[in-house]
Amino acid sequence: MDVAGVLPWVLRLLLSPQVFAPVVFPGLATALVVLLTVIWAERKIAARVQMRVGPLYVTRRLGGVLQMLADGTRYMFQEFIIPVTADRVPFLFAPILALTLAIIPFAFIPSAPGFSPIKSPYSLPAALAAISAIPLSVLLMGWASNNKFAIQGAVREAFMGLAYEAVVFISALSMGVLYGTLDLEEAVARQWLPGIVLNPVAAFTFFVGMVMSAGRLPFDIVEGEQEIVAGPFVEYSGIIFGIGMGLAYLKLYSLSLLYTLLFLSGWEPLVAPLYSVYPGIAGIFLFVKAYLLMLFVAFLRSVYGRYRLDQALRAGWRVFLPLSLISLLISVVVKVVGCV
Amino acid sequence: MSRQLASFKLHLRAVATGLKYLFLPNRITVYYPEEYIELPEGYRGLIRYYPDRCIQCGLCAMICPASAMKMYRTKTDRKGRPGINYQRCIFCGFCVDICPQNALETTKVHDVAYKSLEEMILPPEKFSQEPISPAVAGGARKLKPVFDEERGLRHERV
Ligand code: SF4
Ligand code: SF4
Repeated sequence: MDVAGVLPWVLRLLLSPQVFAPVVFPGLATALVVLLTVIWAERKIAARVQMRVGPLYVTRRLGGVLQMLADGTRYMFQEFIIPVTADRVPFLFAPILALTLAIIPFAFIPSAPGFSPIKSPYSLPAALAAISAIPLSVLLMGWASNNKFAIQGAVREAFMGLAYEAVVFISALSMGVLYGTLDLEEAVARQWLPGIVLNPVAAFTFFVGMVMSAGRLPFDIVEGEQEIVAGPFVEYSGIIFGIGMGLAYLKLYSLSLLYTLLFLSGWEPLVAPLYSVYPGIAGIFLFVKAYLLMLFVAFLRSVYGRYRLDQALRAGWRVFLPLSLISLLISVVVKVVGCV
Repeated sequence: MSRQLASFKLHLRAVATGLKYLFLPNRITVYYPEEYIELPEGYRGLIRYYPDRCIQCGLCAMICPASAMKMYRTKTDRKGRPGINYQRCIFCGFCVDICPQNALETTKVHDVAYKSLEEMILPPEKFSQEPISPAVAGGARKLKPVFDEERGLRHERV
């Protein structure tokens, strides 16, 4: 292959759904931008509700939107300390594993009809499986840190993970039953009404499960800044701490995308002109919906206080698990009555 | 189940309240170094010392509950003169009250953000100078708080 042939080949590779979707949109590159802006938006929203101003001085004209970039840069130049008592290999390996697991779902999330990176009849459970494996790496972080706070945080993560991932899975399953498919692309195609109308209970339980298991402020029961310092992340410093912080948002981002696909009729209405230019960018509405959803979740921070672990677990097992089972029942009824 | 339903209503109300403030914000803070709230007369801010009135009795240092006030002695001046440590001061004003000579006075300046810890300790020489507010010196706009029937607190340009 000569030099002139390499460029189109690279371009073709980049524009193929297998690369473009997970790496550029709605995957990694977009996720990074989302991360930076959502954290800023969250702080601004909380400030508005709490009668304050919020981040301002970094790029003052734009309302401090680059604040997170500045924070990230600061993390980058901080010293990364490995405690002597920590278990070195897992200590370093766990955050990398967590980040990898947080990125994997993008390999299954389609951004437009016929534009899934991995076309699979089981893309929904596959994406959920990757997301719900993140707690395992957080457990590993806590274990490897060899610190009481870290262990406590890790145990909390295990509790919360079990309680709320179950809710998420069952509500997702009930949508699978309703649509008669576990393929995300198919699920969007079969939503003649948005899923949130077809099964509002599932939409509600999935939402709560998503908010709780993403573990973002103020539902950061696992980290519990004021109680157990930073839980599993207590021994981490510098950029790895930044990753730990971003992890919750990354998880929230992929769960929001799934939520949009399952309940908010995904990329519909499809922008046809964009689709004919390049299908990869036609999922713009998918992104907008997911982004608005994330902003709403971010807004919840200014409304709620942190739940105690036992309160959260009680709500999870006693209220939301039965509710999600009810949603499964509703799905079966809707399916049998024959609306779909 | 009825309890859960009742609490669900409360959740909705909390979210609605939050949304109300999100879309109709009621900001009560000011852009501090650029704006500055004028403090009222008799405000217990930074303390100023008038050495010419002082009889060096040491009562101020004795009464200070936070051990912020301290007598600075020298070889020539065995009785010493008071100096203050703003790392510790709680602005209770006891020292001002107890001084028999009115040699201490509270001022309206209350900018207690410093660049270093050392700057917060004022020996007698520095303590006797008029405290200056860096915000005011930097040309901050002066605001005054006004009570508003609807919004609560509001700030107006003086
Ligand atoms: S104001 Fe109170 S705390 Fe401060 S120096 Fe005077 S007595 Fe001490
Ligand atoms: S109480 Fe008043 S007169 Fe006595 S040492 Fe303190 S400042 Fe001076």
